Amino acid sequence: MRYADFGPHDIVLLLNGLGVSLTLFLTTSLVGVVLGALLAVVRYYRVLVARELVTFVTEMLKNSPVLVQLFLVFFGIPALFKIDVTPFEAAFFTLALNTAAFVYVIVVSAVESIDREQIEAGRVFGLTRWQVLRHVIAPQAVAFATGPLTALLVNQLQVTSLISVIGVVDLTKVGDILNMRTLKPFIVWTVVGVLYYLAAKIIALAGGFVERRLTAHSAWKGL
Amino acid sequence: MIRIENLKKAFGKVTVLDGIDLSIEPGEVVSILGSSGSGKSTLIRCINGLERIDAGRITVDDFDVSNPKELAEARKRSGTVFQLFNLYPHLSALRNVTLAPVEVLKRNAAEAEKEGRALLESVGLGDRADAYPAQLSGGQRQRVGICRALAMKPRYLLLDEVTSALDPEMTAEVLEILADLTGRGTTMIFVTHEVAFARSISDRIVFLDQGRLLVDLPCETFFAEDGGMANARVAQFLSKMRKD
Ligand SMILES: Nc1ncnc2c1ncn2[C@@H]1O[C@H](COP(=O)(O)OP(=O)(O)OP(=O)(O)O)[C@@H](O)[C@H]1O
Ligand SMILES: [Mg+2]
Repeated sequence: MRYADFGPHDIVLLLNGLGVSLTLFLTTSLVGVVLGALLAVVRYYRVLVARELVTFVTEMLKNSPVLVQLFLVFFGIPALFKIDVTPFEAAFFTLALNTAAFVYVIVVSAVESIDREQIEAGRVFGLTRWQVLRHVIAPQAVAFATGPLTALLVNQLQVTSLISVIGVVDLTKVGDILNMRTLKPFIVWTVVGVLYYLAAKIIALAGGFVERRLTAHSAWKGL
Repeated sequence: MIRIENLKKAFGKVTVLDGIDLSIEPGEVVSILGSSGSGKSTLIRCINGLERIDAGRITVDDFDVSNPKELAEARKRSGTVFQLFNLYPHLSALRNVTLAPVEVLKRNAAEAEKEGRALLESVGLGDRADAYPAQLSGGQRQRVGICRALAMKPRYLLLDEVTSALDPEMTAEVLEILADLTGRGTTMIFVTHEVAFARSISDRIVFLDQGRLLVDLPCETFFAEDGGMANARVAQFLSKMRKD
């Protein structure tokens, strides 16, 4: 099989790689969005210390390279705690936390962009803090956050390609393997690039659709 | 009854309310007048629990607003209409009106909706029930704001300059609704710069000046030469208002 030309099986290989990339992307996005949003809720309830701690951790996660975080989790943590971490586990853990950090920032600023007056109105009419969050803040914050979240997720999809470095056989790693075998880098990386592009485009379109639905109430503002 | 005793409120070092005593009986319409910065809005915000008070006591039907456990009950009894409407922009006019009845009073959604529609109908917004705030004029928004407060069937209605963000035509349409409410025996605490209107609907007029309650008189007495007008600050305020 050395230096062989492309064969039909390569399509399966590419699709498998794409599957791994998308699985990792979807699961880490889900965990990241839920975790980031939960942390923002903790901040809303003004839990003491938690806020400072969350701010510190998210700052670290946002301001250091994902690749370094990945190395820390894959090489550093097993060495320190004498535990085994598989490449997929390390990739999952790192990307989920990294996504959560960015989601946290997006959700917090979405919540803060909502007028205090409406929140006061809710409180005056006897809504609890939770009811205000649920009925007044959350629906609007979700609408505000959808745009930035979509942009973040498109970016996080690209970031998943870094995990090929620690040996996860994702789409990029498959590209690497095919490239080694066929020695046709232009074709291989074009195909891989187009696959990423298509996946990203679907995410962006879905995000745009959701955003338009959620902001229907402001359509007449002429903004 | 709303009872305010020796209320004090400061923002940092600035004392904004300085020993206010005031009681409002059910059925009364009390207007609060006073120049800008005299503390009128702050007084309203203390009554509905949006500001923490520094000293004194406020009770609404004997529920102490400073006590977190009693505040919820106090709030069920008073409804606030805001200067800038403060509607929920993502909810239709009808949902703005029904949110609190359904969530706080645990009313049945269909019933609340029926009553909400009837309320909107009564202020001439029957056909705008499904519009979002952004699709309504200022006057229409404030009418929704009034319905939202009335939907909770409050004993006391707190109104803070509810027409000052509106042009004269819209002001007239909102004042008409308020005049109608006083005719039906709603208790109102009415902060306003509309002196003529206050005079026409109020039982009592309270005058605030630099955080102090300077005058608290029956409406007719307040405007009499030997009544409220005998107070230099009141006379000065009223003559200034007439010029505007
Ligand atoms: N949140 C706040 N922080 C600091 N100072 C405040 C705050 N709210 C009000 N003040 C100050 O308290 C004083 C009274 O304000 P308030 O809004 O109660 O006056 P007002 O009588 O309602 O005036 P206006 O007629 O202009 O509405 C003002 O000097 C104002 O600057
Ligand atoms: Mg004011």
